[in-house]
Amino acid sequence: MKIGVGLSIEQDPALAAKEACRMATSNLYNSKISLAIIFNTPSLTSSYFLKTISVALADASVIGCSAAAIISNKGIFKHGLAIIAFSFPENIYFNIASMQNIRSTEAINAGEELGEKLLYGFKGLHRDLGMIFSDSLNEAGSKFIYGLQARLGKSFPLVGASPSPDMRFGRTHLYLNQDILHDSVLGILWGGKIRFGLGIKHGWRPLGRPRVVTKIEDNIIYEIDGDPAVRIYEDYLAKDITELQKEIKRISILYPLGVYLPGEKEYLLRNITAIENDGSLRLQSNISPESSVRLMIGTKESCLEATEEAVYEAKKNFNSSLPESEEKDKKNFVLVFDSLSRYMLLRRDAKRELDIIKNSFGEDTPIIGIYTTAEQAPLKAITYQGQSYMHNQSIAVLTISG
Amino acid sequence: MEYFMDILRIVNILTLISLVVALIFKVDKAKQLQANVDKLKKSLEEMDEQAKLIVRTDMELNKTQEELDKKITGLYSLQEFSRIMSTTLEKNQIFRKVGAAPFEELGVEKAWAVLWDEKADQFVTYLVSGYKRDETEQIKSQINTEQELYLGLIRKGKTFSSRYAIQQAALVEKIKTLFKVHSFVIAPILAKEEDKGLILMGTENLDMTITEGDEELITILANQISQALDNSRLFEKTWQAQQDLEKKVEERTRELTFALDEVRKINKRKSDFISSVSHELRTPLTSIKGYAAILLAEKLGKVPDAVKERLEKINRHSDELVHMVNDLLDIARIEAGKTIMNAEPQNINEMIANVTDLIIIQCKNKNIKLNTQLPQDLPLALADRTQIERVLMNLIGNAVKFTPENGNITVTAVKKEDFMQVGIKDTGIGIPPESINFIFDEFYRVDNAVNQQVKGTGLGLSLVKNIIHAHRGKIWVESKMGEGSTFIFTLPIAQ
Repeated sequence: MKIGVGLSIEQDPALAAKEACRMATSNLYNSKISLAIIFNTPSLTSSYFLKTISVALADASVIGCSAAAIISNKGIFKHGLAIIAFSFPENIYFNIASMQNIRSTEAINAGEELGEKLLYGFKGLHRDLGMIFSDSLNEAGSKFIYGLQARLGKSFPLVGASPSPDMRFGRTHLYLNQDILHDSVLGILWGGKIRFGLGIKHGWRPLGRPRVVTKIEDNIIYEIDGDPAVRIYEDYLAKDITELQKEIKRISILYPLGVYLPGEKEYLLRNITAIENDGSLRLQSNISPESSVRLMIGTKESCLEATEEAVYEAKKNFNSSLPESEEKDKKNFVLVFDSLSRYMLLRRDAKRELDIIKNSFGEDTPIIGIYTTAEQAPLKAITYQGQSYMHNQSIAVLTISG
Repeated sequence: MEYFMDILRIVNILTLISLVVALIFKVDKAKQLQANVDKLKKSLEEMDEQAKLIVRTDMELNKTQEELDKKITGLYSLQEFSRIMSTTLEKNQIFRKVGAAPFEELGVEKAWAVLWDEKADQFVTYLVSGYKRDETEQIKSQINTEQELYLGLIRKGKTFSSRYAIQQAALVEKIKTLFKVHSFVIAPILAKEEDKGLILMGTENLDMTITEGDEELITILANQISQALDNSRLFEKTWQAQQDLEKKVEERTRELTFALDEVRKINKRKSDFISSVSHELRTPLTSIKGYAAILLAEKLGKVPDAVKERLEKINRHSDELVHMVNDLLDIARIEAGKTIMNAEPQNINEMIANVTDLIIIQCKNKNIKLNTQLPQDLPLALADRTQIERVLMNLIGNAVKFTPENGNITVTAVKKEDFMQVGIKDTGIGIPPESINFIFDEFYRVDNAVNQQVKGTGLGLSLVKNIIHAHRGKIWVESKMGEGSTFIFTLPIAQ
């Protein structure tokens, strides 16, 4: 597998597309490009930008999304376009598909339908990795994942991102070939001789006594331990509901809810997107009824330690995926899905996080990533058998080679 | 049977007793366990209370850290603004170079800057960041529709922000709506002269609140911009003055070049005139001199002494005239570039020796000591032997002429870098300072006692200058009245 990476910060969408394509294809010489993943900031989104990419990449399959910022070896860009072009040998195959109008479809059904579409053409073939990009406004992300897992398998490695919209336009654009989609989920299914390693961590630690969610509906927790759900924040932060409502986004970044999952090592984090007047908490995504939850606490340093751990795990998993005969730490490509909440917490130290990844994989390893509102990955990510969940505030590091 | 029954009764009693004892033990254990559970519960509650304290302290720390981070970021941004602004002195460039990045660092995604154009009676937008094209056009026009409102903000001269939502709700809402922001800070740009305006930074982010620190930052930024605009204007003025000066210099140079061309033309005409007149003069002069010689030789009969004396005068004056005409012709030829210097490697010592040999008699007549200081290892000079000997003859001859009896004349030659320098120093009467600059001009004669007594054409030094210049050399004179003069000339060294 050959991979070419291009990055442009040109203001004009067509010029940016041309420049990024030229950079991405320059390393691939005359190899046929089969697939391209594109990430851009919303200011560059336009139909002719996709057309330019399609022409420049000779009608390769294109999939991607917009996000508030682009991560690359060269830095973090609030305006830019990144392209990852793949040229596959015959023993690596893929399929891309989309599921549209997901808000009007039952999330589980939508997940199952996307799974079906992705599996189409994979009959009799071994599948290795699934990747999804979903509209960040989708609050039923977890249910969607369950639906997808119903088709692909519960322990099937699935990695994905719900990209963060920027504050100006507030909207995520998803790309499938030359179409700009909204209210959708896109997926790629990979199979064959693809090697990858995944690490996902958040760095938040549980604090205080465990509590039980006693009343919940989808992503809204009404009661915890029989009390209005907001009480957990009122108690710990000594603030009344009005103050909490004003500051919830900031508070949620610092003290998200941690959900205990039996058999898993890490707590699953959930951001609170709003506190309703009845004291219920609206989560970024749904959790199971009667979940055991705890308040979580994190710092910049614990965040950066988690990044180191995620990188370490990704490398370890990558090396263990290689056959004995293949050299370890071989040249690869790194994809990063990093929570925007982490960026808001780290601020100027976000560069330190990028440096950790760069230093670990080496300066010349291509790194491309985006900021997200939710990440999908197996929780432990220690083995392939780890079940994938929808995460918040986490960094997912995926290293691929083939 | 009764015995068996008694035993059974006893066993039952014993069993009952042991059961009662066991129950008592169990109750105790249960009590103990309950006590432990209560203890654990209490510990958990205590730990939970401690956790609450930790969270509250952590939240305060985070708040402080956020404020500190914001201030540090603000200072970095200001430093960056200063750096950017110090790199340009052009008004448009000041805003263009600032761009969006420093505002993003401050956590806002929108920025706008306008300056009031007094002549056009409208606001001109210089910085737009975070707006789409159609939004930009709409805001530009709206600012000018409501220009009195924004001029009022400038006149107040104070930073204004969405923090004043309660006191000035209407104004805050108007600005919020126009600039499509949830929070904002707007500061006046108050440059010393005409450039006055406003700079706004704002955000749509509902979570961001404007603090006093933000207001301070943008006030400092507005002051920096004002200062940069003042510098820009000062630079513009200086630049304009320099441009005017350069223009004047250019005009003057053009005039001088024109004048120089005219002088050259006149000079050429003069040389041509002298050349043709000299030629015309030489023919009759030759005849005059020839006839005078015939008469003096008495080939046409005896000539009375008085006539002979007059004829000798005619002959002598004719010689002088021929000499003068020849000098004039030479000058004209050299000036016109018609005389080609046959420059060849020459031994300067030999040339000086040749000339001094000829002049030594004149020196003896006036008891003048003629010295030479000539190093033996001098390199060869590139010179036309005849012409340079003529120069030496002229300069040493002049030295003899203007040096009183018992004086000294010293001829020196030294190698200097890539040329040869020859000096003729005398202990003569010297040249008045006011004459120094004219001494090499044609027909210029210094007004002194010697010149009043001895006739001269005033062409000798002019010819000397022209010969030396034709050799790409230089000639000058250093003189002090009553102490003497030194004529110095240079010649190129033969490679």
